[in-house]
Amino acid sequence: MEKKEKIGVYVCHCGTNIAGIVNVGEVSTWAAENLKDQGVVVSRDYKFMCSSLGQELIQKDIKEQGLTRVVVAACSPHLHEATFRNACKGAGLNPYLCELVSIREQASWVHTDKVAATEKSKALISGGVSRVVYNEPLEPLYVPIHPATLVVGGGIAGIQAALEIADAGFRVYLVEREPSIGGHMAQFDKTFPTLDCSACILTPRMVQAGNHPNITLLTYSEIEKVEGYVGSFTVSIRKRARSIDESTCTGCGICWEKCPKKVVDNVFEAGMGNRKAVYVPFPQAVPKYPVIDRENCTYYIKGTCKACEKFCPTKSINFTQEDEILNVQVGNVILATGYDPFDAHRITQYGYGRLANVFTSLEFERMSNAAGPTGGNILLRDGKTTPKVVGIVHCVGSRDKNYNEYCSAICCMQSLKFAHLVHERTGAEIYNFYIDIRAPAKGYEEFYHRLLDEGTHFVRGKVAEISDAVRLPGEEGKLIIQVEDTLTATQLRVPVDMAILSVGLEPRRDAKAVAKQFGISCSADGWLIERHPKLDPVATVTEGIYIAGCVQGPKDIPASVVQGAAAAARILGKIQQKEIALEPIRASINEEQCSGCRICNNMCPFNAILFHEDKMVSEVNPALCQGCGTCVAACPAGAISGTGFSNMQILSQIEGLMLLNIKSPKETVPA
Amino acid sequence: MKEYAYFPGCSLEKMAVSYHLSALETTKKLGIKLKELEDWNCCGATTYFYIDELLAYTLCARNLAIAEKTGLDIVAPCSACYKNMYFTAAHLKKDVDLAEHVNFALEEDDLHYNGGVNIKHLMEVFAQDVSAEEIKAQVTHPLEGIRVAPYYGCQIVRPQKEKEDVEQPQFFEGILSAIGATPVNYPLKMRCCGGSLIISSRTAALGMVRNLLQCAVDAQATVIATACPMCQVNLECYQQQVNQEFGTNFSFPVLYFTQLIGLAFGIPQKKLGIGKEFISIAPSLLRAGQSND
Amino acid sequence: MTDTLSFSQEISNLLYATEGQPIRTCIQCGTCSGTCPVAGYMDYTPRQMIAMINAGLKEQVLESNTFWYCASCYHCTVRCPQEINITELMYALKRYSIWKGQHKEGLIGPTFSEAFVKMIVRGGRSFEPVLAPSYIFSFNLRGILQEVTNATELLLKGRLPVIPARIKRIESFKRMIGRIIPMGGLE
Repeated sequence: MEKKEKIGVYVCHCGTNIAGIVNVGEVSTWAAENLKDQGVVVSRDYKFMCSSLGQELIQKDIKEQGLTRVVVAACSPHLHEATFRNACKGAGLNPYLCELVSIREQASWVHTDKVAATEKSKALISGGVSRVVYNEPLEPLYVPIHPATLVVGGGIAGIQAALEIADAGFRVYLVEREPSIGGHMAQFDKTFPTLDCSACILTPRMVQAGNHPNITLLTYSEIEKVEGYVGSFTVSIRKRARSIDESTCTGCGICWEKCPKKVVDNVFEAGMGNRKAVYVPFPQAVPKYPVIDRENCTYYIKGTCKACEKFCPTKSINFTQEDEILNVQVGNVILATGYDPFDAHRITQYGYGRLANVFTSLEFERMSNAAGPTGGNILLRDGKTTPKVVGIVHCVGSRDKNYNEYCSAICCMQSLKFAHLVHERTGAEIYNFYIDIRAPAKGYEEFYHRLLDEGTHFVRGKVAEISDAVRLPGEEGKLIIQVEDTLTATQLRVPVDMAILSVGLEPRRDAKAVAKQFGISCSADGWLIERHPKLDPVATVTEGIYIAGCVQGPKDIPASVVQGAAAAARILGKIQQKEIALEPIRASINEEQCSGCRICNNMCPFNAILFHEDKMVSEVNPALCQGCGTCVAACPAGAISGTGFSNMQILSQIEGLMLLNIKSPKETVPA
Repeated sequence: MKEYAYFPGCSLEKMAVSYHLSALETTKKLGIKLKELEDWNCCGATTYFYIDELLAYTLCARNLAIAEKTGLDIVAPCSACYKNMYFTAAHLKKDVDLAEHVNFALEEDDLHYNGGVNIKHLMEVFAQDVSAEEIKAQVTHPLEGIRVAPYYGCQIVRPQKEKEDVEQPQFFEGILSAIGATPVNYPLKMRCCGGSLIISSRTAALGMVRNLLQCAVDAQATVIATACPMCQVNLECYQQQVNQEFGTNFSFPVLYFTQLIGLAFGIPQKKLGIGKEFISIAPSLLRAGQSND
Repeated sequence: MTDTLSFSQEISNLLYATEGQPIRTCIQCGTCSGTCPVAGYMDYTPRQMIAMINAGLKEQVLESNTFWYCASCYHCTVRCPQEINITELMYALKRYSIWKGQHKEGLIGPTFSEAFVKMIVRGGRSFEPVLAPSYIFSFNLRGILQEVTNATELLLKGRLPVIPARIKRIESFKRMIGRIIPMGGLE
């Protein structure tokens, strides 16, 4: 006869959360009586199993009664699976021999019928008991952690993370798509609410990152391919050809001075200003090396010019330079690729692109910036006239089911900042059109009061339309903002010279593609998904990949810095440990049964299945596998089983749920 | 030869007879056949929805069911008729209960609607069924130098959101360009003419009409082109009332877009219903569309 | 189970086939009222209407002229950031008001629409002259004169229908309507 397991069943009251609906005493007694044949030797119920006393109950029974399996009927495993598994471990029982059954989320919290909920709880426990018999003792997987880190995105979040890891003495590869690091923060004029000059607080960090011995700065570069898993990623990076020899270039600037080809700068200057075909995006660029924009350079188009080469004092122009592919080994990755602004053209009734003096927030930032295309002067599109009346529109493309339902978090503060800057520079009359003023952080509400004090007109109403159709005297030559002032319930026509649209934040256009490269996912809105929205905002479901800054969702600069630092701290912790333990709930392929059909290879959402050409079999990489079970279900030969979710475990749990294993005293055992 | 079930709507018999005449003439030239829907009934305008929703849908569904029997899609020249039937068809497709109720009523007239009819506004026929080149090919008297304010009105575009840009469509301008006219930038082209408010809230409607007329004057248009009988009547027949109410001086010609197309096609003016307007059309427009009468 | 419905629930139920969001999701942004071409003539703006319905201010809502002044241009509906079908709401309020027989004094809308419906039931098609009595007497003298002048000019241009139009299958048409609303309710 097979040696039977000794199973302990523990039913939690969870105060009245469970006990209020489920008759826990009855359930516990029932388990003791009816599941004896399955191996249940002890069955208890207790007010709070997760408390120290509750855990000690389990531990005592393990030691005194020699329990070989434990079933805890309580809340969802998401909450306390680790608690009870550790308790078992502490008493000398392999933690994976402990199963949790949720009679709270699956019974007491979703039903009002007490009798039915109690019966359901009995069935759930019966399922858990049948399953746990087939649990195997498992050991966590240990993987080594390579001390280098990849940071993708050189904005403020990426820079912060890179500096923290580098300062701790470890190598960082900082990859940035644009010719210089700095991100959107480099484009701003002042930052709210302190009105710090954005470049002044950013550039020291940029310089630090550029000079840091532990940071390998790879600008004008993109990620080509990512392979591997936590602790040992192999990343291939395409360093695009700048056409400049970085070893000899001094950043003197003669090349872009002499370059005859002007190009509208749609990236850094938001289309408000020009650059040359050979350029650095802004004067404080890090690194200082320029880049030749091959799409617009006369030499690459027609084969002529070469003015830069003629004048370069250090002979650093190299038209034949090619892209370089670098392969690096890293242990962890931080994705900090930021956001794209909402395209205001989409809201045609606001007239952006059609009516000259409608500006977006980014355009205004460049206008207001002293190093920008208007030298810091607030001017209309004609480049000459100072506006006398300015309207600032909140919630453009945000809080709107027609575009993006979410709130973009920073636009209210940004709009207040604009109002202040316009007031300071021009003394114009200013209107802010808002639905709510969102000023939650330190100094934000006070900044709003400052604006009220400065005499800004705040009109509570979402702008319906911006038009140039004049109707009343005094509107000639102006933009008319049509809105309802909801606080006085009057429909208004507000004539302004300039309208600034505070556009919302959107995920980068290629965020989904980047996420896929790294094996993580995006939410429905397109932001990269964190592991837990409240308690784990920088980790992702994929071990070793972290996210920081606006790539995770709209946020202000302090929050981006915090997330960058948080991601860095998590990684430093892993690097310190030198190796980490991974959950052993994994799929594994039985080589003998595998026919090499490769159906599983493409199904795996984590790219965890390799195919061995020589043996013609697939193999699961346990470090990448997240135990989702897709391949297990897909395999036509049934060659894949999930550790912790074997066929026997699942089928017996189903049998237990249907109470097929219960032999009632009246039933006779089939011969 | 493209064929449609033609739903004229109550106004096109008399009030907007010029629209009716010019619609038939111009579509014929373009090889499109409009076959009048047999025994059609009123679509309910906006008013039926004030009384009972189910009844309103039933009225429209009767027309849809009659059209379904012919196997043709419906073309409606009036924006209100178009909107009512379009949404009745859409709701009946989505809502099985509604369809059941409505079909139960339709039984009395030996009808049943199965959801197979598409609805088009007459202007969509010109914008989608034929290319600009095909229209140009029929133009014998291009309306050179005639500045036209393309007045879309509301229900030809709204409340549908899935179609081409709801706020700034360009298909009307495209048609006007194809016949050689100059569509002007008309900022209020999507704003309401007041519709039935001309009866129930006259002052409000007159104010709306006034804004539309003033905007056309400011845009230096020669004529306003409309695509709906209500719009045409409101904009044209009440200009005297607008002048009395606001002390303005409007005398602005308002035509149906099909009349303009007809003039460009060289169709005799009488056949287009020209001459039935309250406000005479600019001589320049008549000269442009000169043809042997 | 609730016994009586609140006013806002009653109105929500009248928004039968609309595909919009419920009016309780309104964030009071004011886009609808900023857009509405008639808002200046209404005693409460559309946004205020929604707030009043959500607050259960039934009498005030029914005594206002707001929904009778709606031209159903749908501009509010396509712009509403919460995707509420505000025009449908205005229709629902009209239906409620006629059903309960409660509305502001001196409005032409209610009598005009009832006359219109009766006209259609009678013939299946519209015949404008029969509608005139339902509204013309609410006009002042100048208004009446204007209407008469207009009507005369339309007649001279051949644009005024003189003979009432009628569909052929009017009897089955009437029976069809009878399956929706008992005829007695309309006469």
